[in-house]
Amino acid sequence: MKQDKHGKNHKFGMVVDLDKCTGCGSCMVACMSENNVPFKEDESRKKDSITWMRVYKITNGKSFPETEICYMPRPCMHCGGKGDHGHSPCVSVCPAVATDYDHSSGIVSQIYTRCFGCRYCMGACPYHARYFNWWDPKWPEGMENYLSPDVSPRMRGVVEKCSFCFHRYQEARDRAYVEERDDIEEQEYQTACTQACPAGAITFGDLNNPDHEVYQMVEPDAHNCGKPKNPKAFRLLERLQTNPKVYYISEREWVRKAGDNYLEGEWEKVKNNHGNDHE
Amino acid sequence: MDSALIPKGAKRCPFPVFALGIAVVGVVLLWGVYAMGLCWFKGLNQTNMDDYYGFALWIWADLAVIAIGGGAFFTGLLRYVFGIDELKNIINLAVVIGFICYSSALLILAIDVGQPLRSWFIFWHANVHSMLTEVAFCLSLYFSVLTIEFVPLILENRKLDKVPFFHNLGHNMHGVMAVFAATGAFLSCFHQGSLGGVAGVMYGRPFAFREGLLVWPWTFFLFTWSAAAYGPCFTLCVLKMFEKITKKKLVKDNVVHLLAKISGWMITTYIIAKIIDTVYWATVTAPSQGQTFMDFYSNNPFYGVWILVLEIVVCGIVPAVILTTQKFRENRKLLLVAIILGTFGVCLNRWVMVLQVMAAPVMTFDTWAMYIPSWQEVATTILPVAYGVILIALAYRYLPVFPQELELNADQQD
Amino acid sequence: MKVDRRSFLGLGLGAAAGVAVSPVAWKLMDDSSIWTQNWPWTPVPRDGEVTFDNTVCSLCPGNCGLSVRKIDGRPVKIEGRDDYPVNTGGVCLHGVAGLQYLYDPSRIKSPLKRIGDTFEQISWDEALELVATKLAEIRDAGKADSIACVTNHGMGTVPGLFQRLLTALGSNNFLSMDTMDKAWEKTLEKMHGVHGTLGFDLENAEFILSFGTGFIEGWGSPVSNFKANSSRKERGAALIQVEPRLSNTAAAADTWLAANPNTEADLALAMANVIISNNLYNTGYYVSGFGPGFDELAAMLKENYSPEAVAKTTGIDAAVIVDIAKRFAKSNAPVAIAGKGKGSTPGSAREFAAVHLLNCLAGNINTKGGAWILSPQDYEQWPAVEMDEVASQAIEKPAMDPAGSVAGFFAKAGAEKTVQALLISDANPCYALNDAKAITKAVQDIPFVVSFSSFMDETTRQADVVLPSHTFLERTEDLPSAAGMARRVTGLATPVIAPVFNTKNPGDAILAIAKAMEGTVGESFPWESYEECLEAVTGDLWSDLSDQGYAAVQETAPATRPSVDFSFVAQNPAPVEAEGTEADFSLILVPLDNVRIATGSVASSPFAVKTVPDTVLAGKDSLVEMNPETARANKLSQGDLAVLETPKGKATVKVNLFEGIMPGVIGMPRGLGHAMEENRYVSGKGVNINELMGPVMDAASGLDAAWGIRAKISRA
Repeated sequence: MKQDKHGKNHKFGMVVDLDKCTGCGSCMVACMSENNVPFKEDESRKKDSITWMRVYKITNGKSFPETEICYMPRPCMHCGGKGDHGHSPCVSVCPAVATDYDHSSGIVSQIYTRCFGCRYCMGACPYHARYFNWWDPKWPEGMENYLSPDVSPRMRGVVEKCSFCFHRYQEARDRAYVEERDDIEEQEYQTACTQACPAGAITFGDLNNPDHEVYQMVEPDAHNCGKPKNPKAFRLLERLQTNPKVYYISEREWVRKAGDNYLEGEWEKVKNNHGNDHE
Repeated sequence: MDSALIPKGAKRCPFPVFALGIAVVGVVLLWGVYAMGLCWFKGLNQTNMDDYYGFALWIWADLAVIAIGGGAFFTGLLRYVFGIDELKNIINLAVVIGFICYSSALLILAIDVGQPLRSWFIFWHANVHSMLTEVAFCLSLYFSVLTIEFVPLILENRKLDKVPFFHNLGHNMHGVMAVFAATGAFLSCFHQGSLGGVAGVMYGRPFAFREGLLVWPWTFFLFTWSAAAYGPCFTLCVLKMFEKITKKKLVKDNVVHLLAKISGWMITTYIIAKIIDTVYWATVTAPSQGQTFMDFYSNNPFYGVWILVLEIVVCGIVPAVILTTQKFRENRKLLLVAIILGTFGVCLNRWVMVLQVMAAPVMTFDTWAMYIPSWQEVATTILPVAYGVILIALAYRYLPVFPQELELNADQQD
Repeated sequence: MKVDRRSFLGLGLGAAAGVAVSPVAWKLMDDSSIWTQNWPWTPVPRDGEVTFDNTVCSLCPGNCGLSVRKIDGRPVKIEGRDDYPVNTGGVCLHGVAGLQYLYDPSRIKSPLKRIGDTFEQISWDEALELVATKLAEIRDAGKADSIACVTNHGMGTVPGLFQRLLTALGSNNFLSMDTMDKAWEKTLEKMHGVHGTLGFDLENAEFILSFGTGFIEGWGSPVSNFKANSSRKERGAALIQVEPRLSNTAAAADTWLAANPNTEADLALAMANVIISNNLYNTGYYVSGFGPGFDELAAMLKENYSPEAVAKTTGIDAAVIVDIAKRFAKSNAPVAIAGKGKGSTPGSAREFAAVHLLNCLAGNINTKGGAWILSPQDYEQWPAVEMDEVASQAIEKPAMDPAGSVAGFFAKAGAEKTVQALLISDANPCYALNDAKAITKAVQDIPFVVSFSSFMDETTRQADVVLPSHTFLERTEDLPSAAGMARRVTGLATPVIAPVFNTKNPGDAILAIAKAMEGTVGESFPWESYEECLEAVTGDLWSDLSDQGYAAVQETAPATRPSVDFSFVAQNPAPVEAEGTEADFSLILVPLDNVRIATGSVASSPFAVKTVPDTVLAGKDSLVEMNPETARANKLSQGDLAVLETPKGKATVKVNLFEGIMPGVIGMPRGLGHAMEENRYVSGKGVNINELMGPVMDAASGLDAAWGIRAKISRA
């Protein structure tokens, strides 16, 4: 287990400001381009379309002209799982340890050459963040020239998902090692989507490091599995205790409510109670 | 022309008729094999599965055949461990069905995974926390046990039995069968359970998730119990089909009624447990995750409350009442209704625990996902059925599957 | 042979052990899995040294700075350039996907010559000679003025070279594609009497009043606007969006005013009325700058545009109109912007003038956070064109479309059939202009069409000679920033890779054509290469351009305070109505712009198409957006196949219900329905809305002011 100089593990996470996100799709394409994600002639069947980063369009359900919409970028949540011990919904079910929780970074890995394609992890993930290679990845003649050697293209029959651009973390660590530094700087390791977002809606960093912007934005409650103390911040499906490391921020109440399922009347009770209820 | 192979004294249809029947089923089998080849060589894009339906028709078929094949381990348990001797008259049938079901299940799994050539990674890189790992280990071990249970029956073939080695081998295997039956029952309890656990541990999926005991969610126990309860129904269904097709009585009524009664009481206890589980899930587990019972049964074109009523009342309480009441189960028609409903019920339960789990949305802005299997999926699902029909027909024709056959059909013997 | 229990177990275990010990099965199992991990048909990208090259994107007028990551000289990833003033690190999805354009196997790989309905590959020498000879022939026949040229945009030295060639040949018919820039130019001419363009200091504005612009959907410089929108949220600056549909801009806005279609000008005029009648206009400006027509304007507004009257026209409450108008006028840095959607089409002069009137009344002309009147891009220092007699005479003839509208030009070309030759560079009028089919017909009727394009797009398909150009990643080019931007930056695109195919920089192609023509035409182009020309022509800017990859041309608000002439607005020009009658077509079809779908001269990349939601594109079908109420009235439901009909044409589409669109309005995404057969990832998907819409020429500006068209829809 690799630790930083404070002897503390990293816990990389992401904060998405939904009020800044315009749904432009830069993050999606930056991700596809960074991670050698293949594409097919028809990508309009969204349930068979590999998009590690997917931007959902959600509405408040009201009729014209009271309608509102919000875009919600959804990478892999890199769940810490129940109790934040690393038993993510997917990691705990993978029969061959092809997906694993790295305690030193908090990143949920995916080993394509280990995965044999049982797809149990996909069933277990409530966020649909996992994608199966139903097809052989094929690039039009000549286009394989742009493939990056940092991320291996996946073969047919395996599951893939967002890795928080883990190769960038490795690269940053290698650089730090060569330069004889104990640890990497906040800006040294940023995901491709964070970097590309023209609205600056995505922030990435170490949720264990109070100096990092992500920490300051959401104030993760260490005694409550990282639940945000900032009342404007939330995590998707918080109540399932998956403990995601992707946080969302919005000033809009209906957006925060859309982040989870609530029984009738429940929202009114919990909406101002962030980070205080030790369930 | 194959009379030398047919059990001594048994009457079988003329070989050409048999061969024709096998050929017809063989065509269906080949269709399935073709679809299987497509899935292996072209990949799973041949199916209509998608990223929402990673588990679909095949996994349902897999769970269903294992559940209905549960008659093998349960009857074996009753016969060899609890010593209910009458069941020796139906145990061979149960074993053959079990063998067919489990070999089918393994075949389906080999088609279902994206990288079949790497499927042994499940053993090599095993994750002990995964229910699927438990399934894989128990399933393959239990399949070996079933094979060992099946071999002595094969060796009883008239021709094979003449070989002294086989004769002695068969005899000795019979001697140790209790050990294997016990092992099999133990293994089977676990993998039936872990198949239930597959759904129950998915705490990201409120429709499937159940609390439980230690590492096992309640579905673990419900699956084992339901397989034991409903498995014999399927064994009896097959028996009834045999009797219908061969126009012979093959097992004495007392044996059938005994097994039916045991099944009835098992279903009764199971369905009580299932109702308690459902009520707890609907009123405590799911609401704690912000979902109401009706969230799981509305806003979609297919899954309504009817499916729960069908599973629990029509295919649970009804067969339980019929099979536990002597008057009813001894009525031929009612018995038939009960065992068919039972078989259907356990298959429906597996359907719900696979397909409806995949269909139900979890994120508030997600929608119900519907799916219709492709012909390749249907063909590969029918493939094991065709294979089973052929294997069981061969077994019946050439092996003394029913020890009471000769006695019950004394008037028809040549 | 007697087998007892002991030997049975022994034999069994022995056999099992034997198989297990034998390495064959294990080896096979292992080998087969290793094979699956290294399938030869799954590519393995080559590793190598990592380098970064800077360049500037020209896929849209935004012109963002890019940083291209390369492995062993092979570009693998495009990122935003952190130290580039336009986008500071951010980048849009089209720019990120740039390598898909570069390596696209459906690119034009060498010069082509039309033979009947097909193309034949020819050499560059042959192709250039062919073009030069043909142009010389036309010129010799005394028809120099019948040579025309259409470029995508009119700024920078590459379009400059095209324009120079036309001048040297003797033609005034140099045009760039119609966009909102042309509408702003006309507005400035009418209201300030100046020739120039308008830039908006959105990153400092405190109150942005947007009349249907796709402020964050690709309008102006997209990435710069995304940033301005985010900073706006931090600064607490308001955005008010006027639009009949909940676009992404409307969704991001503080207030969405769902005004009836084509009533933006009415709303603006009502607000102007509120501002004037409450004496909230900038009196300082009034004293110094307000020119003729103010009193007439005030009277006209009072009579025709009371909030109550306009509430009826627009469907917006009078109280809301008054409130917004007051907030606008009282803001320290208000700005009103126009140009629907991405601004890729011009709008009506009335609408632009009404919106700009608000800027004038607020006195925010050439102020921080306001609207800046910028002189035309003029850093280029071209030597005088050598004109022979033919050129001097021909150039006296008026341009075919006096308003300088491409739509007008093609309408005339189609009707009169006098154009002898057309040069097209990086523009795709046969796809992008309204009534695309008629435009295609007009192009087909031109005897000699030369396309300088990288892709076999709809227009290039009609060409007689194709001189394939480098993509933006292979070219050198100066790229002045888009209209709409207050701070002007000229970027320098530099090649990040040697040409992938046998293509040329269109600048070099022009030089070669000119040189092949003897006399003054050749003499007007004294440079050996385009690079040499660029360095010479950009003059003072060159050192900045070559050193840092960009040159800041305008950083602060111009010091001038141009006077305002209100007379055009005071005349109360009539609105430009949609084509079609309400009796025949009860609904209104409007184009929907979204940043994820490219609508300009290039089609979307495969990656961009992949991001398009299934509520916009399903398989090969476009989905049209309509309110559930509209659907009910037309007996349609979600996903239904329907026939959409307008006075211009018919198309089969699918129905997508959206609460956020006004009942009676149907929205259709722009940018789909490309016919570029070689590119199956992009082509043949959906319907090109430009085939369903026709141009509506605005008498006041001479530009196409179509904003929608009447339509009807029924179940297919």
